[in-house]
Amino acid sequence: MSVPLSQMITVASYVIKQKLAGRKRYPLVLMLEPLFRCNLACAGCGKIQYPAQILRKHMTVEAGVAAAVECGAPIVSIPGGEPLMHPEIGRLVAELVKLRKYVYLCTNAILLAEKLPLFTPSKYLTFSVHMDGLREDHDEAVCRDGVYDQAIAGIRAALGRGFRVTTNTTLFDGASPLRMRQFFDEMMDLGVEGMMLSPGYSYSKAPDQEHFLRRARTHQLFTDMLSNAKRRWRFNQSPLFLRFLMGKHDYECTPWGNPTYNVFGWQRPCYLLQEGYARTFRELIETTAWERYGRKSGNEKCRDCMVHCGYEATAVDHTFGSLRAFGETVGLTLTGKL
Amino acid sequence: MSLEGWVPEIGEFLTLAEVVDFAFDYRGNTTIVRADGTEVVGYIFNRDSAAADPFVQYFDEAGEGPFTLPYRDIATIKFTGKDTAAGNSWKAWIERREREKAKAAGAAVAGGDDADPGPHRG
Repeated sequence: MSVPLSQMITVASYVIKQKLAGRKRYPLVLMLEPLFRCNLACAGCGKIQYPAQILRKHMTVEAGVAAAVECGAPIVSIPGGEPLMHPEIGRLVAELVKLRKYVYLCTNAILLAEKLPLFTPSKYLTFSVHMDGLREDHDEAVCRDGVYDQAIAGIRAALGRGFRVTTNTTLFDGASPLRMRQFFDEMMDLGVEGMMLSPGYSYSKAPDQEHFLRRARTHQLFTDMLSNAKRRWRFNQSPLFLRFLMGKHDYECTPWGNPTYNVFGWQRPCYLLQEGYARTFRELIETTAWERYGRKSGNEKCRDCMVHCGYEATAVDHTFGSLRAFGETVGLTLTGKL
Repeated sequence: MSLEGWVPEIGEFLTLAEVVDFAFDYRGNTTIVRADGTEVVGYIFNRDSAAADPFVQYFDEAGEGPFTLPYRDIATIKFTGKDTAAGNSWKAWIERREREKAKAAGAAVAGGDDADPGPHRG
């Protein structure tokens, strides 16, 4: 596992404080979407289908900073759209870093080398580069040839300038465990700090049996990929979340763990479902009908979901919920075994 | 199926609240027809039907906003803008990808048939 010690300590002390304060619902990662516009049109992406006037909108730096302050989460993830297309992305990141937020700027890295001068290397800033597999797989996923090579060039440029760089990978049905293992090797050879994995989200009205198979297939895929994980592979995420994906833990979703703020406001209930907006974070937490979401709720939109934005916060909360879980996390982190 | 082009008639079988929900899910501009007959084109990004005074929120065609409009001031909503999500769902992508794979596999089989016409050919 590759999360730096200072970040681990920050997250650990934050979670323990929330637990001591008796807060049942607390945010862990703020998903700050400063724009929806992107320079790719990946198939299956539901984030960029808006009329032109919405795609032209940018969140102001002040609004982004205010959201981070109000939310209070120690980590701010900046997805999009493509955040590097935001005209003030350098200032937005700098302001968040000033607040000592651990910022993960999620990018397809097409513009990364060009935009690097806007940023200053810091332990608080990580470029999280979207990589969905080896060259052929990634270019297919983003529907454009050559993007993998552009991303590799961007990663090399960022590493060369001393930035923290991780990758984020979304896996869909049909992903090859063997090719993914090759991909992990390739990313480690490249020198990234760590990798983040998540299954893709699919909302379907298929019958229960099919839902069950989907979840079982996810367990199988992650088991095939991550069993006998090589020690050199480093994952920039909770090992308990990865074990959840392998079917070794059964968690319930914590949609408030990764709240989303974008140009429309605070998105209910989570990063993936768009069922309305609250004006403030407090309103989001206090007025969202949380009992309607998560697997146990029976909500068909949630039944298949195993995505990081719903379950990684659960895994982290679980880590600090008992000595046993804490010990398990420490053991997995030290040994690299899953 | 896309709602693009739909001009709903509010009445016994279709309530305004239902039309608002459809408009909220719609990834394109709509034309909101106010109770006084005036119209505004925009993107509806939020609605609250459970509020004491139910309302929608939208950005207009120029991107100005957000504006808030109570349900009581809305006569109907026309789905006049292009549906930017039509054909772009994850499910549609999977189906498209499967079709392309099947097509590629079919082409490979057809290519191979020239060299090795097997019993599977009809």
